[in-house]
Amino acid sequence: MKASKALAWFAIAIGVIYFFVPLIGTFEFSMRMRRGAYSFDAYQSVFSDAQFQSTFGFSMLMALFTIIFGMLLVVPTAYWVRLRLPQMRPVIEFLTLMPLVIPAIVIVFGYLRLYNSSSWIPFTGSIQGTNMLLVLSYITLSLPYMYRSVDTAMRAIDVRTLTEAAEILGAKWPTIMFRCIFPNVMSGVLSGAFITFAIVMGEFTMAALLNRPAFGPYLQLVGANRAYEPSALAIIAFAITWFSMGLLQLVSRFSKMAPSKA
Amino acid sequence: MSFLVLEHIKKSFGQTQVVKDFNMSIEKGEFVSFLGPSGCGKTTVLRMIAGFENPSDGAISINGKNQNKLKTNQRNIGMVFQAYALFPNMNVFDNVAFGLKIAGMNKADIDKRVKEMLKLISLDHLADRYPYQMSGGQQQRVALARALAPKPQVLLLDEPLSALDAKIRVSLREEIRQIQRQLGITTVFVTHDQEEALSISDRIVVMNAGRADQIGAPSEIYNRPATRFVASFVGTLNMIDATVADPAANTVKVGENTVKLKESIGALKGGDKISIALRPEAGSLSESAKGDTSITGTVVLSHFLGSVIRTKIDVGGNLISFDMFNSPDTVQPQPGETVTLRFNASDFLIVRD
Ligand SMILES: Nc1ncnc2c1ncn2[C@@H]1O[C@H](COP(=O)(O)OP(=O)(O)OP(=O)(O)O)[C@@H](O)[C@H]1O
Ligand SMILES: [Mg+2]
Repeated sequence: MKASKALAWFAIAIGVIYFFVPLIGTFEFSMRMRRGAYSFDAYQSVFSDAQFQSTFGFSMLMALFTIIFGMLLVVPTAYWVRLRLPQMRPVIEFLTLMPLVIPAIVIVFGYLRLYNSSSWIPFTGSIQGTNMLLVLSYITLSLPYMYRSVDTAMRAIDVRTLTEAAEILGAKWPTIMFRCIFPNVMSGVLSGAFITFAIVMGEFTMAALLNRPAFGPYLQLVGANRAYEPSALAIIAFAITWFSMGLLQLVSRFSKMAPSKA
Repeated sequence: MSFLVLEHIKKSFGQTQVVKDFNMSIEKGEFVSFLGPSGCGKTTVLRMIAGFENPSDGAISINGKNQNKLKTNQRNIGMVFQAYALFPNMNVFDNVAFGLKIAGMNKADIDKRVKEMLKLISLDHLADRYPYQMSGGQQQRVALARALAPKPQVLLLDEPLSALDAKIRVSLREEIRQIQRQLGITTVFVTHDQEEALSISDRIVVMNAGRADQIGAPSEIYNRPATRFVASFVGTLNMIDATVADPAANTVKVGENTVKLKESIGALKGGDKISIALRPEAGSLSESAKGDTSITGTVVLSHFLGSVIRTKIDVGGNLISFDMFNSPDTVQPQPGETVTLRFNASDFLIVRD
C-alpha cells in the first residue's frame, strides 16, 4: 500500500520533471538575451517584430474563420445525425477521426493536386483562394475535436424532443437551429473553438506548403535564424495553448453549474 | 361534424402495423384520454395528430380542415411532453413567449399574454427562473403555459405526469383539467394510468394493440366494459367460469350456486360454458343487503388493508376476490368460514374477447 503510493509519487515526479525541466530551461534561456542579467529583452524583440505581429494576426484571423465555418458545418451535421440518422453516428464519428489518422502532409498534397491553379477548382490561383483552402484544411484538422465536443454537448440535451417542441410552436428550421439548438450546445462549441484555436495557432505543415504567412512557419523561421527569440516564442506559444485550455476548463465548469434538465 | 376527427387511421413502421384502423371523433372543448398498455400505439396516434408522423392511411381533420398535408409547424396545435422539453437556454418568460414571437405578435401583446398564462398556472413569481432552477411539477406547468399561449386549436398531452411523484401527479392533473375547462380547449391526454384517465376525462378511448377497443364516458368504460381487455385493464376484475343453467331465465351455475344475470344469454343452450366478470367491490356480505342473486363459498384468505378488507373466496373452484369497506363494526371474514355474498344481477358482466 505505502510502497505503491510512493511509486505513484515517483512516477508523477518523473513526469513533472520530464515536462517542466525543458520548459523551465527554455524560459530561463529566453531571459538571458542581455548579457549578465535576466531580462525580457527577447520578448520585447519578438513583440516588436513586425513579422510576428502580422503572422500572429493572420493566424488569429484564420483561426476565427476556421471556428466560425467549422461550427456552421459541425453543429448542423451533428444535429442532423442525432435527429434523423442515429444509425449513421458510428460512421460519421469514424469519418471525423480520419484527419487524426491521415498525416497533415498527405492531406495537403491531396488538396494541392485537387485544387492547384490548373485544376477544375483552382483555389490556389489567388491569395484569397489559398487562404480559403487553408481555412478548409484547418477545418479538416480540427474536425475530430470540434465534432466530438459538439456531439457530447448534444448528448446532454434531448435534441429530438426540443426540436419537436419548437416545431409544434410553429418554428421553422433556422429558428430551431439558432434559437433552440446552438445556444444549448454553446459549451461544446466553445470548447471545440478553444482547441481549434490552439491547433491553428501552432499549425505548420498546411500553412508552409500553401505558402501562407502564418504563425507556425514564422516560429520555424525564427527558430532557424535567431538565438534567444525562439525560446521566447516557444514560451508564448505555450502560454496561448494554456490560455485556451484554461478557458476550456472554465467553460465546462460553467456548463456543469447550469445542467440542462431538458 | 366533430372538431377533431380521425378516420381509418393506420400506421406502419416497416413491416409492423402499429395503429390499425383507428377512428375517433372529438367534440370542441372535450377532454379525451387515450388509455392503454405500453406499446399499444397511444403516442403514435398523438404524434400523427401533431404531424410528427404521417399516417400510412386515413384522414385527420381539425375543424373540418384536413391536416394530412400540413406540416407540424402549420397546424397550430399545443403539445406537452412527458420530459417537459422546456428550452434550457430560456427562462420561464421566454419559454412561454416562444410561440408568440414566432407568430409575430408585438412585444406589448406578448408581455400581456405571457403574464396572463403565468397567472393561469400560478407561477407569475417565477418568470425569470431557468428550467433547471425549477421542480418537475413547475416545469411541466410552464410547458403547459407554453403550449397554451398561442391559443392552439387542440391541446395534446403525452403522459405529462408520469415523470412526477404521486402527490404532484394528482394535484397537477386536477389543475390541468380545471384550466382545460376554463379555456374550453379540445384536449387529448395520453396515459397508461387508469385512475388518471377515469378521474379527469369526458371520454376515454381504451386502446389495445393499435385499435380502439372501447370509447365512452369513464363510468361507461368502468361499468360496462365492451371487451374482456377493457374489463381487465380498467379496474380489477374476477373472471368466473360458469355453466348456462336456464337460457330463458338468464341463469347460470357457478359451482353449486345458481346465479341470475341481467344481460340476455338467450342465444346459448343449457350446459354451455360461459365466462362472467365481476368487480371485487360489487356485492355485499350483509344479511340485510338487497340483491336478486347470491353466491356461497369458503373464505380462503382475508387481508386487512385499512379502508378496505380484501377477501378471496373459493366458489366451486373459482377464486373470487371480494373487497368491502372497513368500518368499526365490520367483522373480518376468517379463512375457512362459509360466507354468502349478495349481488344484483347487473353486477355480473358478460364480456366478449
Ligand atoms: N419510430 C418508430 N419506429 C419503429 N417502431 C416504432 C416507432 N415508434 C413507435 N414504434 C413502435 O410502435 C409501437 C407503439 O408505440 P407507441 O409509442 O405509440 O406506444 P405507446 O402506447 O405510446 O406506449 P407507452 O405507454 O410505452 O408510451 C411500439 O411497439 C413501438 O415499438
Ligand atoms: Mg407513449
